Amino acid sequence: MTDWLFSNSAGMPDWFGYLPTLLQGVNITLQITGAGLLLGLVIALSLTWVLERRIPVLAQLTEGYLLLLTGTPLLVQIFLIYYGPAQFEWIKNSWAWTYLREPMFCAILALGMNAGAYTCRLFKGALEAVPRGETLACQALGMNNWQTLSVKLRHAMRRVIPAYSNEVVLVLKGSSLASTISIMEIMGLAQRLNGQTYDTLAIFGLAGAIYLLLNGLLTLAFRRLEKRALQFQTQQ
Amino acid sequence: MLTHLMNASLMTLGLALTSLAVGLVLAILLCGAEMSRFALLRWPANAFSTVLRGLPEILVVFFIYFGSTQILFLITDQYIEFSPFWCGVTALSLLFAAYGAQTLRGALNAVDKGQRQAAQALGLPPLYTFIHITLPQTWRHALPGLGNQWLVLLKDTALVSLIGVHDLMYQAKAVASRTYEPFTWYGIAALIYLVITVVSQQGLQRLRTRVTRYD
Repeated sequence: MTDWLFSNSAGMPDWFGYLPTLLQGVNITLQITGAGLLLGLVIALSLTWVLERRIPVLAQLTEGYLLLLTGTPLLVQIFLIYYGPAQFEWIKNSWAWTYLREPMFCAILALGMNAGAYTCRLFKGALEAVPRGETLACQALGMNNWQTLSVKLRHAMRRVIPAYSNEVVLVLKGSSLASTISIMEIMGLAQRLNGQTYDTLAIFGLAGAIYLLLNGLLTLAFRRLEKRALQFQTQQ
Repeated sequence: MLTHLMNASLMTLGLALTSLAVGLVLAILLCGAEMSRFALLRWPANAFSTVLRGLPEILVVFFIYFGSTQILFLITDQYIEFSPFWCGVTALSLLFAAYGAQTLRGALNAVDKGQRQAAQALGLPPLYTFIHITLPQTWRHALPGLGNQWLVLLKDTALVSLIGVHDLMYQAKAVASRTYEPFTWYGIAALIYLVITVVSQQGLQRLRTRVTRYD
């Protein structure tokens, strides 16, 4: 009964035998997460700007984008972006196909577009939470649109940074879905190992521990950033 | 083939609703454990919540599906599979509970202390106070958060297609590979998910206005 705990002759649990393999995936997981976050940030900033300035047609399109990306599962989005284009000959014959057939590119694109939508909602909410009187005061002082926006932005920062760290964790967790389109990040390697050995509890347990560790480190880093970025508000 | 997907979305809905029901019960228990006076209850409950919220959802689903098979193998020396559906329900409801417990705890704490003190001053018994004064207000505070988690749960159901539950995502995959029209069918699946989400959102909005009509 207990030999599953002690699978090698030295009497030591063999659980950590899986660790080197799983750690090979950390790099790719971090790459997808980092690139996804960056793309998400760019998308979110531009969309928030469009919504904030209420640019006629673009604002409606943005609303549609937000609805579509936040209302459907990330897995469907990844499959749609990775498998979808193959249906059209003209895409396959165009330059875009060199990128769209790459699972890594598609995973980052899907994750970034998804993160962009959620982050945009976050930014928009934080900007809306800035008291209206502040905008009016800026205008009364004769500030132009840009100056007013910069005042609002500084105020909104305080709300955004803690919430954004949640978003980072969400993207890191979401990067595990890249394994469904054949990318060998942590989750992909864990699934392959599991298929070879069926030692599920040890393998997924270790993979889970790696994810928890990464999440913990990222959260910690954000707390430090938060302290630093908000110094001007706490010191007075 | 569209009817195929429609039937599969009923599967998705059933899965989500079952997970919601189980998850709510678990969330209440977990919230109780997290707020308990006994460290022996509080500590594991806190650890459970923290761990589950830090893990990728797909890992939780796989861990429960393949892990239960491994445990059964260690006990019985045979490969027996639990039904993917119930493994999915277990994973999704545990995830829901981990997040839901936080919402409930926040909502309970958000009920003004003065409310309880007033009830005490009026000589109402503690249980009566809890049921008739604390709970209705907790519910009101918790509703938006729980609503959000319901939407997350709905979207997370797509993951159980990976362990072989014949839900919307699973059927979309099957039809897409049969017809060589992935864009069309994944697109239709996305639209069905979108409709379910939007209808849920509308329903939640109505529920919220009803619950907060006294505010």
